[in-house]
Amino acid sequence: MANNNPPRNARSASKNASGRSTANVNGARTGFYALLIAIAVIGAGVIFYLMKNPAAGDANAERGAQYDSLKANYAKAGPAQPYVVGNANAPVVIEEFADFECPVCGSYATVTEPDVRKRIIEPGLASYKFYDFPLPMHKNSQAASNAAACAEEQGKFWPMHDQLFAGQDAWGLQPDGATQVTDNPKPIFLGYAKAVGLNTDQWEKCFDSRKYQSRINANAAQGFRRNVNQTPTFYVNGKAFPGSIAYDNLKRAVDEAAAAPKPASGQ
Amino acid sequence: MRRMAIAALALIGAFVAMYLALYKFGAIGHLACGLGSCERVNTSRWATFLGAPVAAWGFAFYAVTFVVALVGTSPAWSGRREISVLLTVMSAVGVVFSAWLTYLELYVIDAVCRYCVVSAVIVTLILFVSVSDLYHSGRRTTPLLADGE
Repeated sequence: MANNNPPRNARSASKNASGRSTANVNGARTGFYALLIAIAVIGAGVIFYLMKNPAAGDANAERGAQYDSLKANYAKAGPAQPYVVGNANAPVVIEEFADFECPVCGSYATVTEPDVRKRIIEPGLASYKFYDFPLPMHKNSQAASNAAACAEEQGKFWPMHDQLFAGQDAWGLQPDGATQVTDNPKPIFLGYAKAVGLNTDQWEKCFDSRKYQSRINANAAQGFRRNVNQTPTFYVNGKAFPGSIAYDNLKRAVDEAAAAPKPASGQ
Repeated sequence: MRRMAIAALALIGAFVAMYLALYKFGAIGHLACGLGSCERVNTSRWATFLGAPVAAWGFAFYAVTFVVALVGTSPAWSGRREISVLLTVMSAVGVVFSAWLTYLELYVIDAVCRYCVVSAVIVTLILFVSVSDLYHSGRRTTPLLADGE
């Protein structure tokens, strides 16, 4: 019996309290749902905007428009003509989409690629195809691709390729990763042409006329068809490896591709 | 109130993870030379866990956390301590996973993705609020038990 009163008082107190707290809870709940809806609308809106404008999330807002215009131009390009080295009958094809001015491509070309050539390409385990994929924010990249294509005319693409990547600091991006070292890379490229033993008159005429621009566009177009969106991007018998790749990982991919029963066509 | 905060944080986290997952799946394609820290982190071999992108795991984690917290705010479940325990355990696992990813970014990949940092902060906040919710849910149940006795 002594227990009856306190609970009744407690119940009545709780009723008052719950009356107040119900109003508070309802108010809080309404605010909560409004907040969730606001987060959902803003979040979905930002993601939708980024999907419609692929490069809007980047520091360089121009990239979105450049991306679209490049994609439209490349859609008209002919079939790709990559630069090939190695045994044409090798069971594995390694394809690289790269930008001569991209620092990550440069570090791959100077640190990893010598091993790839010596231990994978030269023994005939795989052939290697290089596709130009000049990125719009790298102002000298198209010129570098032209320099390399004009070296190919004289059978010296790969030595020029190596010179361009090794010398990136002299003609590419400054250490800030945004501004160019020079607006006129031609004298530097001419120096590379001499260094690799090209006929410089022929090379210069070719370079000045952008003789192989359509080949460069066609190689980039191949990248767009495959949805390449960063450099370097590698394919090993058609399997994509975006970003730089360590020698061991590339070798493993080559071994797996060679062991696969039906390797896919490289193209 | 705490579970509402957890639900709101989880929803923000879900959108951050969704952005990274869409990037990984190529839906938010942008040209990059792999120089940016986010590209390096998101294209590294640690960006995939048990066959799925880490960002997709993150999205799944936030989505489940959001649902659990939202259910926990309903009148039928608001007093249930199980929800607090579940949220605390889940967010603790999330913080440990996030700490491991941050370690990889700092000491192995040598690049920090700002979206990953945002996610790490969100999951840490969720853990703090979950622990607070667990503590208070323990205090809430005591008088009820005392009344019943």
